[in-house]
Parts: sequence; structure tokens; C-alpha cells
Amino acid sequence: MLGAIVASGLAMGAVYALVGIAYNVMFNASRAMSFTAGTVGMMGGVLGALFIGRFGLPVPLGLAATLAACGLFGVVTEIVAVRPVLKSLDQHLYVLSTLALALMATQFTAIEWSTEPQPFPRLLGGVGGVLDEKFWLPLAACAATIAGLEYLHHYTLVGRAFLAIAEDNYAARALGLPERNLRIAAFALASAIGGLAGFAAGELLLAYFANAQLLAFYGFVPVALGGIGNNRGTIVAGLLLGLLQQAANFIVGGVFASVAVFVVFAAVILIAPQGLLGGQRARRV
Amino acid sequence: MAALDEELPAVSGASSRGRTWRTAAPYLLLLAVALALPLFANDYWAVIASRAAVYWICVAGLNLAVGFGGQLAVGWLALLTIGAYAASILVGRAGMDPFLTFLPVAAIGVVGGALIGATALRLSLFYFAMLTLGFSTIVTQIALAWQSLTGGGIGLPGPAMPAPFNTPWGFYLFCLPLGALCVWMTLNVAASRFGRALLAIRDAEVAAEASGIRKPAVIVTVFAFAGLTATVSGQLFATLQSYITPDAFTFDLTVLLFVAILIGGRGSVLGPLLGTILLTLLPEVASPLVMWAPFLYAFLLLVIVLAVPGGIAELIDFKNRKPLKSGRLILPVPERLPALLDAARSDAAIGVSGLSVSFGAVRAVVDLDLTVPAGQVTGLIGPNGSGKTTTLNAISGYYVPAGGWVAVGGHRLAPGVSSSRAAAGIARTFQTPRLVGEASVIDNAMIGGSTAGRASFVETLLALPRHGREEAHLRARALAALDAVGLADLAEARCDRLQHSEQRFLEIARALMMRPRFLLLDEPAAGLAVGEILRLGALIKELRRLGVGVLLVEHHADLVLDVCDQVNVLNFGRLLAGGTPDAIRQSEEVRSAYLGA
Amino acid sequence: MQPTRRSVVLSSAAALAAGAAGLRPSFAAAEPFKIGWPVTLTGPGSAPGLSFDLGVRYAVDRLNAKGGAGGHRIELVTRDTQGDPTKAVNIVQELISSEKVSAIFGPTNSGEALAITPIMARFGVPNVHAGTIDSLIDPVKYPNAFRIAPAGKQWDAALRHYVLAVRKWKKVGILGDTTGYGTTAVSDSVAGFKKDGGEVVYSATIDQTQADVTPQLLSMRKAGAEAIVVWSVSSGLEARIMNTRAQLGWDSPILGHPTMGSNDVRKLLDKPSNFDKVYVVGFRSCTRDASGKLPARTQAFIDEVRGKMDLKRAILFLVLIGVDGIDLLAKAVAETGSTSRKAIIDYLNTVKDFPGLFGTYSFSPTDHDGYQTTEVVMCAADSLKDGALAQAPGYD
Repeated sequence: MLGAIVASGLAMGAVYALVGIAYNVMFNASRAMSFTAGTVGMMGGVLGALFIGRFGLPVPLGLAATLAACGLFGVVTEIVAVRPVLKSLDQHLYVLSTLALALMATQFTAIEWSTEPQPFPRLLGGVGGVLDEKFWLPLAACAATIAGLEYLHHYTLVGRAFLAIAEDNYAARALGLPERNLRIAAFALASAIGGLAGFAAGELLLAYFANAQLLAFYGFVPVALGGIGNNRGTIVAGLLLGLLQQAANFIVGGVFASVAVFVVFAAVILIAPQGLLGGQRARRV
Repeated sequence: MAALDEELPAVSGASSRGRTWRTAAPYLLLLAVALALPLFANDYWAVIASRAAVYWICVAGLNLAVGFGGQLAVGWLALLTIGAYAASILVGRAGMDPFLTFLPVAAIGVVGGALIGATALRLSLFYFAMLTLGFSTIVTQIALAWQSLTGGGIGLPGPAMPAPFNTPWGFYLFCLPLGALCVWMTLNVAASRFGRALLAIRDAEVAAEASGIRKPAVIVTVFAFAGLTATVSGQLFATLQSYITPDAFTFDLTVLLFVAILIGGRGSVLGPLLGTILLTLLPEVASPLVMWAPFLYAFLLLVIVLAVPGGIAELIDFKNRKPLKSGRLILPVPERLPALLDAARSDAAIGVSGLSVSFGAVRAVVDLDLTVPAGQVTGLIGPNGSGKTTTLNAISGYYVPAGGWVAVGGHRLAPGVSSSRAAAGIARTFQTPRLVGEASVIDNAMIGGSTAGRASFVETLLALPRHGREEAHLRARALAALDAVGLADLAEARCDRLQHSEQRFLEIARALMMRPRFLLLDEPAAGLAVGEILRLGALIKELRRLGVGVLLVEHHADLVLDVCDQVNVLNFGRLLAGGTPDAIRQSEEVRSAYLGA
Repeated sequence: MQPTRRSVVLSSAAALAAGAAGLRPSFAAAEPFKIGWPVTLTGPGSAPGLSFDLGVRYAVDRLNAKGGAGGHRIELVTRDTQGDPTKAVNIVQELISSEKVSAIFGPTNSGEALAITPIMARFGVPNVHAGTIDSLIDPVKYPNAFRIAPAGKQWDAALRHYVLAVRKWKKVGILGDTTGYGTTAVSDSVAGFKKDGGEVVYSATIDQTQADVTPQLLSMRKAGAEAIVVWSVSSGLEARIMNTRAQLGWDSPILGHPTMGSNDVRKLLDKPSNFDKVYVVGFRSCTRDASGKLPARTQAFIDEVRGKMDLKRAILFLVLIGVDGIDLLAKAVAETGSTSRKAIIDYLNTVKDFPGLFGTYSFSPTDHDGYQTTEVVMCAADSLKDGALAQAPGYD
């Protein structure tokens, strides 16, 4: 029993954490939060089911195609919904433009894909139960993403440039970093990470358009809890959120579990708007 | 005050009435159509028109918070839902009279709205948007779960209205006046210190604070009103639906209420009204598109945000399409200034003692002493990054100093409370003008007069006499202020159509509206032409003559040396030198560090 | 590919247009008999609406080909409500006031039905529907509304009868989704089992989006449930429950809502055998008996539409109800010779043993529930053939 709660809790937590990282990567490169973080999570599942389940691509190829498509969506997000409104960042128009884009993508999926959840193919097969792939795949995806980001940040030039921009984007621009290209790259990367989350959780969440809204919210909760832009905080908070949610589902049941998660979220952001583990604060004048 | 009124040019009756008519024309046209509707349309259109009216009532209040105040309350449907359930429970289970029910329902809205507004003060926009979205989901979930009260999934009947309001047209004729009342009330707020304060909070928050606008009070008040219209609209919604279940409060409706405002245009009442009508009507007339409707809403939202940030309101704003006169000159009229300032002089000075400001490891200002006496112009110069603007910001209360204090006439000012400076008589301008681009020039000037207002929000809503008197007086003063800085001809133009130099003078006009004893000018001559700098100098000199203490941060050495009584030179956050312009001109140290000559 | 929402709407519109165009000349004399048909064709929860719609359109076409209803060409006015009660209210008013329909069949979603039933009553529009909520039928408040399907309590009673009396299982666990339907059905079902002497060892509502239901099933097993009752229309949740049961190596039967036997659920199963011991609410008229035969009327219908109607994706009993609803309204017009709303209601109040495909209906001025309870039986989910299921084991 405990095993089942922990397994599904950690799996869902890993998905939330990955979506949270997608929020963070986009935020660090642009200072904008994008609602599309949840959308790419949904797309990961739907496109995976489309490429592998419907078109019959082999799993590695299907995964690559899914991530590429999500990455492309990230580029589109940057060009269509973020870049045009960055010049007036303090008006926060990105909230509206990314919300609009996220709604469009979700509605499009609902109409052209299906409004009912569709099956997501088994990727590896094998054992069921607590050690089933549907539970450990999201965790593996999360671990791979953390390792990948660590490598990127510490061993590559692009990664260091990301860090520099995250630290202080004015200074980074003054240093002559190609801020715009880095931003596009960051949005592609973030969207691919979100897509990976949805793909890895495909068997858990199914290929379902409504996952977009779910992930947009539950992926944001760890960001708010862990501190915006803070990936470590996001991962810890994400996993805790998953466990809390599954435990609440079990102990108090459907509706009250959502209420419990919402109350925790609201309380934390109101008491510590910068997150429990510290985030970044912008200068105003 | 009486003398002042005589001196100021009264807004001429004829032109004011003309403006009122032009503003009112589209609303009267809509009202005429709405009243004529029962004559030629069937019951179906009664339902659609009632629905538009009901949604509008919710949008009307929300528009003040979202469109004017820029607070992204995405999930406002939550309050409509609460209102609908409260009314249905009170009428259906407690047997209350449906008319009387509006009172407790409205009270619930006021409390709920104010609580949500209070959270808006603590959160950044995205967090707030997420919180309200989450809240609206949770409210529906609770409605499902709390079966004993809400009927759960089976729901409960909406409050039935007695005759003659129990037919589609009868109900419509009940909703229509309420909708019209909301138009009138929100127009009153829009054209008041509350409306201007909201715009300033949205687009120029630091300027709002410098003008003495207390954001918490304004935001909570407006959210309380938005809550009221939402719950009242919820009761009407429940009656219109005749039966409510949680699935009647769809995500599409959340989007509709929010998007109607943005499509309509931020900072407008007419735009969101048309937006609401459009979004209610669209799915009815374009039925093949019905399943694409949410997609289209989102698409419209994206287009509006990117291409027409002013929304429908901007598209139909023909007045501001006419090109402004080219080659116009800013010709200040310093003689106007006496009428704008308090006659009573005071000898108090701003005293800065041992001020230190740090950003992390960077010490921007170190142990600075400075005096800004009344009736003098004090210059503050220094190279870029020497701490001039930081000093100004610390005086204005934007930064909490690491050490030292700022006092006026010996009374220390609360550190970091920027909205308290206006009351201390300190006004300021900004290095980059902080104005509301979408508002008119005169409205921007009137933002400076916010603290003078006494009429309460309720008096404003209902346009009670005190509010009208204050507005007329403020408007006259604003015209005089614009006249003083040479912008009177542009009073009705949209602010973002002004040239950069005109915006700088407009900031001065706004500052003058506060009847300041001290005026902090942050690089007022940047980007000005030579002639304009001269006229600016004359204006500053006249202010000095009238007893205003001016603190001038400026790079333009000519202007500084011309108008200042005392010049302070900053370098690396420390006072390098201080003295009369002549002394500074002679100082070797200053020349090498800064003047570079 | 799945039928997308668009293709469904377009094709139904096209069929309508073609039917109307081809048949117009023969009805020049009498005014058409307009039937409003508000139905959830798109959006989540559209599966039942799509099945109903197959039957409705079939019935209209067949009747019109035979001369309509007493010489009146039947004109179907279809409106997609998208499962949204606010749209339903607009639509039903349009049907009543703008389209001036003589009768309304539908709607197909309970939230919509609750909202528009009082409106139809206010305008005295005859309404035949298949809503499951008890309160939708009330001859005093809604003298215009007639039900031709079993109410929710009848489903619940049939399921309880099977569990407690036929199979003699005593301990049940009850699950539902967190929609309006699910939460209500669970609490009704819990009350019903307790009243009939069953022991409800566990009950919970589960969010449709909850990724994993292992904890709920584990606690249910621990509590000793001999049968799992599921009230949900969410295919995702239903499939998760079945898959998880298999993963836990548990073999308690799952019983519940008819959608559990649908193709939407089937394709989400990890393996076909997860359908074992899944019993869904079914109806005698569309259930194969022990010898594998369907009732003759139903079999005739299936044979007639074979190749013309895609029954694989449809839920048969809903198709049949759709046919019956239109047939019943057409009969009223044919018998009274009038398309007036009042005449139709008056006639419906006198219907005795109307032989439909789905059931045999009788109404009286004081009883507008036309369907007989004994016709509800449990069926085995893994026995789907031609859209029909076989009766669950254990009945005499």
C-alpha cells in the first residue's frame, strides 16, 4: 500500500518537477513565465501516442520526433508569444500571450486529436506492480534531465551563457552574449523537457488534451514552492507535491485532495511569495 | 481656494457638455437598441440579451481590476459561482425573497472580492493569475463535494423571480437596468481618482506611489466592488439558467469573462462592454464555428495582445487617429505657477543624513549628507553610476537605506514607504517618464492630484455631488498645470502620442498637481532641445521664487550651473564636492572627475 | 483515425441536407413536423450523444421515406450543446422561440437536462428524453416531460439485485468519478446498498485525471470487498481501475455504468483479459440471452442497418432509444393529425404499451416514466458483438 502510494507519488512528482523545470528554464532566459509549460507536457503524451501508437514508429524514433516537435513548439512560443511582449516586461503581457497560445494548442488538440483520453503505447514492457515502467520512467526522465542540465551548465559554453543570463540578463547582454538566440534555445530546451515529462508519463496520464491544464497548474506549484528559477527547489518541491497529492488522494479522497493541495499552495505563496527555498526578486526603479 | 477658482479658467460649459455627449453617444445607442429589442425579437433573443447583460455585470466590476488596474484575476468565475450558489441556497432552501437575497449575495461578493484583492497585493501577476485559476477550479470541486448544501452533481434550482420578471423578456427588463447601472457606475469610477489611480498602478506603479496613491486601499476597494458585481451576476445567472449544476460553470466561461475585457481594451468601459456582447453573440450567430469558439477566443486574445493592445476601444477611438499638430513647441507659462502652489511658505528643508544604500555587495550610496532647502535649487551631479538616482529613490522611499535617514523639517520620513512622500510635500519626476500611455494627457496630470480627493468610492460610484465638485476642481487645476508647463493644447490627446520632451514636461505638471513643497527632478533635460532646456530653466527658477525646494539631478552642465544655488557632486556614492556653481566650476577635482573639461 | 468532432458534425449536417433536399416534393401539402434535438456531439462526454444521434437520424430518415408522420415531413433541428448547460439554455430557447419546434427529444447530458427541463415546461413543449436523474420526471411540475429510459435508481436497483440477490456478494466497494454524475451516483448507491442489507466496505470518488488508482483498490481489497461498483462515465478512469485490478492480481468483479463496456474503454486496456468479470448495466432488449440470441426486434434492426450504420463504435441501447424517441413523437403526430404542442402532450399521456426497439412504453397523466424496471439486467463487458452484450452469468 505504502509502496503503491510512494511509487505513483514519486512518478507524478517527477512529472510535476519536470514541468516546473520547463517553467524555470523559460523564466531564467526571459524573465517571463509561460503557461505553455503545461501544454508541452500534454503534447509529449499526445505526440508520443501519435508517433508510436498510430504511426508505428520505433520507440527511440518516436521519442526523438516528440521532443523535436515540442522543441519546435517552444521556438514558436518564443517568437509568437514572448519576444513581442518582452520590451514591456513590466506590463506582464506574456501572461496573456502565453495563456492564449496554450489555450489554442489545447483546443486544437481537443478538436483534432480527441476529447477522450487515448491509449499510450507500452514502451518497454516487463514487470507490473510497483516497479512497473510507468512509475520509474518519469523518475528516470527527471534524473536524465537533471544530469543533462548539470552537464550543460558546467561543461558547455551555451550552458554557462544560460547561467549568466539567468543571473543578470542586462549584464549578460552588455557582455555581448547573443541573448535572443539563447532565449530561443532555452525555450526549445524547456519545451523539450516538458515534452519529455509528458512522454515519460504517457502511460500514467494517457494521451489526453485536458492534461495541459492539469500540468500547467501542478507543474507551477513546485516552482512557487521551491522558488522561481530554482531548479533544485523545484525538484524537491515537485516530488513532495506528488507524494502529498497521492497520499491525500488515498487518505481523504478525490475532491478533498485537490482542495488540500490548493490550500498548501495558496498558503505557501502568500506566506513566502519567494518560495520556501528562495528565488529571485526583480528591481523595480 | 475661492480665489483660486476665479483665477483658473473654468472648463467651459459648452465644450464640456459636447465632450459628455460624444462620450455618451455609443452607450445611448446601445441602450436604444437594447430597449427596442423586445419590439422585434423573440424569446430566444431575450435569453441571449439577458445572458449578455448578466455576463456584463460580472465583467463590469472585473474590468476595473483587470482592465484598469492590470490585476490578472483570471478565475473570477469563482465568485460568480459562489454568488449563484449562495442565491440558490438562500432562496431555495431558506425561502428568502429573491429581491432581498441580492443583499447578502452582494455582501458575500464584497468580502470575497476584498480577500482576493488582498492576495493580489502580495503576489506577482503570474502567481496571482495561477492562484485565481486554481481557486475557480476548487470552488467548482467544493460545489460538487458539499452535497448537503449544493446538491452536489444534481445541483439545485436557481432563484425564480416573481411576476412580471418570470418570463424571458420580463427577466431581461430586470437585467438590463442593472447592466446599464453597471455601465454608469464604472464610467464614474473610470473618470475619478480611483480610475486614474488604477491606471497608474497598472502602467506606472512607481509614479502612482510617488503621487501618494495607496495601492492596498485602491486595489482592495476595487476588488470588493468586482466581487459584488460578480456575485450579483451569479444570482442573475442562476435565475437565467433556472437550475445550476457545477458543470454550468465551465472553463470556457472563465475564459470568456476574462478575454472580453482584453479584447475590449484595457482601460476602457465601452470596449469590454462591446467585447462581452460580441463574445456572447459570436457562438450564436456563427454556430458552425461553435466548437472552435474557445480556440477563436484564445486566438483573438493573442492577436489583441500582440497587435492591438488597446483592443476594440482603440479601434473605435477615432478621436486619437487625427494627427497631432506637427512642429509644436512647448511654451511653459511660469506666471501660472502661483495659482498652483500653496501660498503659505515654509522654511523646512529636506535633510539627508548619513544615507547609505547597498545592493548586495555593491554600495551605491555611502554616508551621504545633503540638504534641499526651500526656495533653493540644489543640484546633484556626478558620472553615471555615482549614486544620484539612487539618492533620489531613497528620498522617495523606493529603497530602504542601509543606514542614515531622510527628514523633512526635522521629522524623519518612514524608510521605504514611497506612498508617504506626497503627504510630506515631496513630488518628483523620473529619468524615464513613468506615464500611462493609454490615458489622456490631462488624466495623467490629474493622477498627481490623487491625494486631494476626499469623495469615497461609494460617492464616486454613484456620482454624488462631492465627487462631481472635486472632479471639476481637479480638472481645472490640471488644465492650469498643463498650461503652466506649456501642454494645455494637448490636454485631450493620448499620452503615448506625445514626444519624449513633452512627456518630461507632463511629469512636471503631474508633480505640480500635488502642490509640492519639494520637487525632485531626475534628468529633466535629457532629450530636450536647447530652447526647451532654456524654458525648463525658467520654469525651475520660477518654482524657486515661489518657495519650492528643487533637487535637480542632471547631466546638462549648462542647466545645472545656470539654475542651481548649490551643487553637490557625487562620485562612487560619496560626496566629492559641494558649493555654489561658480565654486564647482573652478574645482579641479570636479573637472577631472566629471565635467571632463 | 477517430472520428473527429468536426467530421461528425459535418457529416450529420450533410446527411440532413441530403435527406431534406431529396424528399421535399412529396410533403408539399402539410407543414413539417419540427423536432428539436439538443445533443452533446462534441467535447468530453460526447460518446452517448453520438450514439443517440445515429438512432435519431436513422428514425427520421426511415419515417420520412415512408411518408413522414401522418403526412408531415419530419424536420430534425440538431444543435450541439457541447455538454455545456449555458449553451443548452440558449439552444433550447432558440429551438422553442426561433425554430418553433413542436417537440424536443433530448438532451443527453444530465446537467443540461436539469437546466432546460423547467424551460421546456414553461413553454409547454412536449419533451421525450432518456435522462437518468429521478427529479427530471414530475408530471405536476413538468407535465410535458416523458422518459423512455430507466432512471438512475433503476440502474442502481438492477445492479444491487445482481450483486446481492443473484451472486450473493455481501461486501462491496463503491467508486465514482468527481463529476456531478459520479459524486451523486456514489452516494445514492452507498445508501441503496445499505438499505438492501449489503455492506459497503469502502467508497470513494476519484478525479478522472488521477494517474494511479492503486491505493484505492488496495484499500478496497484490504477491506474485503467482494465486488467493485464503479459509477463513472470517464473511460480513462474506468480503464485504470480495470488495469490496476489486473496488476494487483485481484479478481473481484467490477460492476457499473454501461460505458464501461464501450470501445473507448476497451482500447485503453493493457490486455483484453482485463475485461474479465466486468459486468455493466444493460437492458433486455439489447442483451443476448443464454442461447446467444438477441430479441427479434433488435436483431431485425441490426440486420437492417448492417453496412449502413457503424454500430462498432456505438452504444447499442442508446441508438435504440434514439429511434424510439423519434418514433414515439411521430406516432403522436400521426395519431392526432396535429403538430400542435398540446395535442402531442395529450396523446403521450395516453400511450399504452408502445412497442419500441429498446422497450415497451406506457404513460399516464400521473406517470411519465415509461420504462419497466425489470428490463434492466447486468451484462458481461467482454461479450460485445454488433454493439450488444450478453447477459451476465448467474441469472436463471
